[in-house]
Amino acid sequence: MTTKKVSYNEAMAEIEEILDKIENEELDVDELAEKVKRVSILLKICKDKLQKTNEQVEQILKEMED
Amino acid sequence: MNQKITLSELNELIKDALLDAFPSSVWVVAEISELKENRNGHCYLELVEKKEDEIIARSRATIWSYTYRMLKPYFETTTGQLFTQGIKIMVQVSVEFHSAFGLSLNIRDIDPVYTVGDMALQRKEIVSRLQAEGVFDMNRELELPLVPQKIAVISSATAAGYQDFMNQLESNEFGFRFYVKLFQATMQGLETVPSVIRALEKVYQYEDFFDAVVIIRGGGATADLSSFDNYELAFHITQFPLPVITGIGHEKDDTIIDLVAHTRLKTPTAVAEFLINGMERFYGRLTEMEHEIVTLAQNVIDTQQKKLERIAGNLNYSVSQFIHDKNRQLTKTGNEIRQNVKSFSYKKGYEFIQLKHDLSSVVTLKFTETKNELGQKQRIFKRVVGEVLLKEKAALAQVKNVVTSNAKQMLFREFEKIRYSRNAVRLLNPENVLKRGYTLTLKDGVIIKSVDKIDVKDEIETRFSDGKIKSKITKKDRNDN
Repeated sequence: MTTKKVSYNEAMAEIEEILDKIENEELDVDELAEKVKRVSILLKICKDKLQKTNEQVEQILKEMED
Repeated sequence: MNQKITLSELNELIKDALLDAFPSSVWVVAEISELKENRNGHCYLELVEKKEDEIIARSRATIWSYTYRMLKPYFETTTGQLFTQGIKIMVQVSVEFHSAFGLSLNIRDIDPVYTVGDMALQRKEIVSRLQAEGVFDMNRELELPLVPQKIAVISSATAAGYQDFMNQLESNEFGFRFYVKLFQATMQGLETVPSVIRALEKVYQYEDFFDAVVIIRGGGATADLSSFDNYELAFHITQFPLPVITGIGHEKDDTIIDLVAHTRLKTPTAVAEFLINGMERFYGRLTEMEHEIVTLAQNVIDTQQKKLERIAGNLNYSVSQFIHDKNRQLTKTGNEIRQNVKSFSYKKGYEFIQLKHDLSSVVTLKFTETKNELGQKQRIFKRVVGEVLLKEKAALAQVKNVVTSNAKQMLFREFEKIRYSRNAVRLLNPENVLKRGYTLTLKDGVIIKSVDKIDVKDEIETRFSDGKIKSKITKKDRNDN
């Protein structure tokens, strides 16, 4: 149940770590392409999660007693 | 003999005495312990005074409907507090005694300022208590998740505030998805506190699922907020493991639960806005990061490219420097060689001149020697030749003498011969011959000495001493000897 909650944080932490690395020029050009791709995937996951309905979460809500 | 009076007479006496004692109304401070409105609009109350939770005074009170109709809304709007049991009030009363119903206080006016002050005092006490217990900031110290998306709502399904909240959340312009679960509770009146606490306990079962709890209330009675100035409820909120966001529609001071909640907002709509804005900020941050990563990556690439260009530039410079150096070195070496060659050739030239000079002096010497030798030889030769010439000259002179004498003899002899011949020639001259009767015969200008040279019919010329004739041969006879 907690995975969804932390994954925004995890995603952001990972993205920020990558951005920091790029900013501090800790990545070589080969790694760069890979990390940029990774960041774009994470960003996509986050945006999707904000806007697309997660059926599993819906189901949990329905199963709660009033 | 004792004087006897009836109960009614006694009550009349009491009534008179009270009237004397309280000729006009008095201001009384008390707590409402009970309150009832009947269908005529009259209000019946029980007022008490407590000392450390023990009732030390009690009295019935009444507010007649014509007063109550004005007094209640005035009180509630001024205090933000329902006119209900449990609150402390300051009221102007007239003490009345009815023979059949006994003592009662007729409430004529109320001073809401007292209640406000009392409420403030109570709130202060609650806050002090919560602070003393070290729990006051506990909910506020919780971290609101980055994106509160799963929301437990404590409200009343029928409350306008809840509907506003849901509409606002669901119709957000960004299409953000929220997962909301309503936990029903009574949001006004005396049931509020236990009802909200029960709802919180239900939410607690799903603590791991939800990101935040929202307590909202709106519409309906605007006055009943005292429930939220409650120690017990406030304590529950401070202890709750999820951040609590309030939107309980209070226009004035914050209630206690507003003070202890993680985030306090004025209305349910404001809570919805807060959640949407939070998500929008997060979404914006994501979009920023998209740009940021592109820019950063671009920067890295640019930096690397510049570095490469610089290296290439340096290399280029180094190479041209190297070439330049080598060129200079070559030129220098060339110059040195040229210098060496020049000095070498100068040296050799000098040596050559020296040699030539030596040679020429040798040649001159040799020449002089040879010339001397030749001169000597010439002189020798001249002398020899002179001697030979002298010899030859002498021999020649001898020969000349011989030749001269021989020639003279020979010339004499010849001269004799010629003198003799001259006579013979005079005799033999053809003209003299011709004059003596001889002729010459010529054919074609040539003298003919034989008949063999002439044929019949040839034309011949016959010369005489005094002329010539032409004749044709008619006959030829050869002498046969």
